Amino acid sequence: MSQPSNPFILANGTKPSCMEMLQLILDGEASSEQKEYFSSHMDKCMPCFKSYHVDNKIKELIKSKCCGGQVPADLVDQIKAMISQQTIS
Amino acid sequence: MEEAPRQSYSNKERSDIFNNEFLPHINSMYNFGYRLTLDRDDAKDLVQDTYLKAYRFIESFQKGTNAKAWLFRILKNSFINDYRKKSKEPSKVDYQEVETYYNSEDVDRQITPDLRVEALQDMIGDEISNALNALDVDFRTVIILCDLEGFKYEEMAKILDIPIGTVRSRLHRARQLLKEKLSEYAKQMGYKNT
Repeated sequence: MSQPSNPFILANGTKPSCMEMLQLILDGEASSEQKEYFSSHMDKCMPCFKSYHVDNKIKELIKSKCCGGQVPADLVDQIKAMISQQTIS
Repeated sequence: MEEAPRQSYSNKERSDIFNNEFLPHINSMYNFGYRLTLDRDDAKDLVQDTYLKAYRFIESFQKGTNAKAWLFRILKNSFINDYRKKSKEPSKVDYQEVETYYNSEDVDRQITPDLRVEALQDMIGDEISNALNALDVDFRTVIILCDLEGFKYEEMAKILDIPIGTVRSRLHRARQLLKEKLSEYAKQMGYKNT
């Protein structure tokens, strides 16, 4: 059976590196064709397999740990007050 | 984003847009402001300023389009034009170098810091947040926009006024640097690089 052509290859013929492919997958920017290709590629590529899980975990941690805490309670009211002042004047 | 035809809104429409389309993003906006300035008071000022500008320019906003991306763009511009100038901190990143780095063939051979999922799972404190904050602001920004706020590359390109290719290369480099920081933490936590 012939190898399916790599759907990540750019119009100009450049073949993206593993890490470039992985990035598109992780960021949800890959087409379904690319996803399919990558999932079978990962079976044969240990560095991709490892990076995929680590990178996914980091993304997850950023989501849960970096959301910045409470907005100051008075901020919305202050903004609204400044706007209504502007509108009147 | 693009120069949209100027809208004309009644006062009621203005306040509806402001309350229903702009204000719901205040948490994300505040966090973005904080991650840019690394100071809660500055973040508050920046957010306040952004919302006032958004209201002033509301007629350039098309109802029902991506308000979040529009607001993020205003905030980013305010940060660069007002805040960054004031603090006189020049951008330290040499993008030429970044681009060259990314396009070189060494990219895959270059040592990816060896980091294991188990080590990451033990980072239950501020490690990730500190590692992120330690990155140069331009690298911090792309990670926030992509990983935390879930913007697509195309939206990021518009928010940051850079080509999509640059979004991708900057993100790539940013993650690389973040991993280096995290693997330092992992080492301190006793994880050996295997």
